[in-house]
Amino acid sequence: MRYGFFPGCTLESAAKELMISTKKVAAALGIELVELEGWTCCGASHIQDVDDFLATSINARNIALAEQLDAPLLTVCNTCTLMLRTAKQKLDRNEQLKKRVNQGLAEAGVEYRGTVEITHFLWVLVKDYGLDRLKEKVKRPLEGLKVANFYGCHILRPPQIMGFENPLNPQSMERVAEALGAECVDFDQRLACCGFHAVFPAEKEVMKLTGINCLSSKDAGADCLVTPCPLCQMQLDMYQPDAQRGFDQDITVPILHLPQLVGLALGFEPAELGIGRHIVDAIPLLRKKLVTA
Amino acid sequence: MDTVTLRIKRYDGVKEWYQEYQLPYEKGKTLLYSLTKIREELDPTLTFSAACRHAICGSCAVRVNGNAFLACKTSLDQLLETFETERLTLEPLNNFPVIRDLVVDWEPKLERMKAVRPWLIPSEDGDPSEGFRQSPEDFRKIASPTDCILCGICSSECGQLSLNQEGYLDPFILNKAYRFAVDSRDAAPEEHIRPALEKGLWKCLHCMECVTKCPKEIDLAGENAYLRQASIQMGERDNKGARHAYAFVEDVKSKGRLNEVTLPMKTEGFVSTMNRIPFALRLIRKGKINPLHMPREVEGIEGVRKIYEHAQGVKEP
Repeated sequence: MRYGFFPGCTLESAAKELMISTKKVAAALGIELVELEGWTCCGASHIQDVDDFLATSINARNIALAEQLDAPLLTVCNTCTLMLRTAKQKLDRNEQLKKRVNQGLAEAGVEYRGTVEITHFLWVLVKDYGLDRLKEKVKRPLEGLKVANFYGCHILRPPQIMGFENPLNPQSMERVAEALGAECVDFDQRLACCGFHAVFPAEKEVMKLTGINCLSSKDAGADCLVTPCPLCQMQLDMYQPDAQRGFDQDITVPILHLPQLVGLALGFEPAELGIGRHIVDAIPLLRKKLVTA
Repeated sequence: MDTVTLRIKRYDGVKEWYQEYQLPYEKGKTLLYSLTKIREELDPTLTFSAACRHAICGSCAVRVNGNAFLACKTSLDQLLETFETERLTLEPLNNFPVIRDLVVDWEPKLERMKAVRPWLIPSEDGDPSEGFRQSPEDFRKIASPTDCILCGICSSECGQLSLNQEGYLDPFILNKAYRFAVDSRDAAPEEHIRPALEKGLWKCLHCMECVTKCPKEIDLAGENAYLRQASIQMGERDNKGARHAYAFVEDVKSKGRLNEVTLPMKTEGFVSTMNRIPFALRLIRKGKINPLHMPREVEGIEGVRKIYEHAQGVKEP
């Protein structure tokens, strides 16, 4: 199993722990990740607000880099996945657009052909790798750990572009968590938005939403919240102390990246997965709940 | 499955309660069929609105298990399958005042809609007696936005509106602004766009609920992007939303990747960024950001810049 790995900007700085955990977990599972050389930011759902054609063009170039490897493009970020898949859908459905984009790409010495798929680590686990195979790799079942699965918008919506599962009642996160031995809790905000993309222009609303999201998982009895998106993770973790100021109730809940949860079950120690880098300390919880952590 | 239970939120003008109705399961029926059956056979006091039964009048939208649907267009079987249950919870649309049971009040929404001047401001290319000619290509621009049936589903599901009813416009109102702004017969797009900008256009959370739930599959998120681009072209660049978007455009051109350290400064300016010092220190302590880190240019950055040059000369077809 070989993929063209598109880390996305956050993995180089604020979410470096996701780079660390993704690489370790992929290696342990025998999934080969080849980082695309020269990948650029996907536009993070902002560049199209200035120039649609430019947003499509830079992602056509990103996809073309994976085409050069002849490998499916894999991301670990919901928004990167949506941006890349949006560009691909537009290009594959509009020959004229593809031609104009390729005129620009030609000057950069690359060509978009439309020959590779764009996928996310979560989907790879469920569909390509398989949960039975994943179960066989589990060295430390996460028994007794109650996780709240927070999908994040852009791995589900819009389904016309994402289309992996029903956005009204997805199950992939629960299936992975259960394969790892964890117990899943149902909670009201399971499919909610984290608000990250509007944290500057709509700070007040997004902070309120952060508090609501954290509390919802706590009220359902979760020990921690897990997300397949570094932007959701950053919003819910980094801004949690700021969000707390708007709430009387304690909203504190540790927020894990999906590959970290997988890594714990594969037997890695929390420190090896960069869990010490989170703002809300998850390590005391993991020490208490996990057998050898 | 012999029976289906519908648990419906009731409201009589004073008090609210949930009431359960059991119906014999019938294959291939719509949600509206079930509501009508309850009213006709079990409880004549249950109040809901519906008319055309063909997804055209837009009056029968309700929420099922927290998600808005057009009752006449929604298969009961599909709902039972999606939510893996024989019991569904029905509630009125979110973000609307409720009149009774599942009926919501549209009056305040239609008043709000006037803000974007949802009517044609005629150009001088025609007149009311002669009519206004429009090419097929120009007509296609308004074909999808005029599919809106004012069902209110987008308002119910909107992430920003759910947190901020006053400071943001309902997606269907933004759709109206778009629909007239791109109409070739309209002489004053700014008059539709500016009110949207002033009422929180950049506050959209990008949650994609509106595009996902719209029964007419209108690309409401894409329309929002257009309205923001148009507002920038009107010279409205000096706001947090536009500055934030430009930070990405500029960083990709300069290095290929986002510089998270300079992003707040570019978006908010110096003074507001100073208020973020406690936040920044919190991140530095955990090693989440390194204020001295400067991203290096990515391999092939010259090519990226050539793509930018090319894009400058192209309008998307």
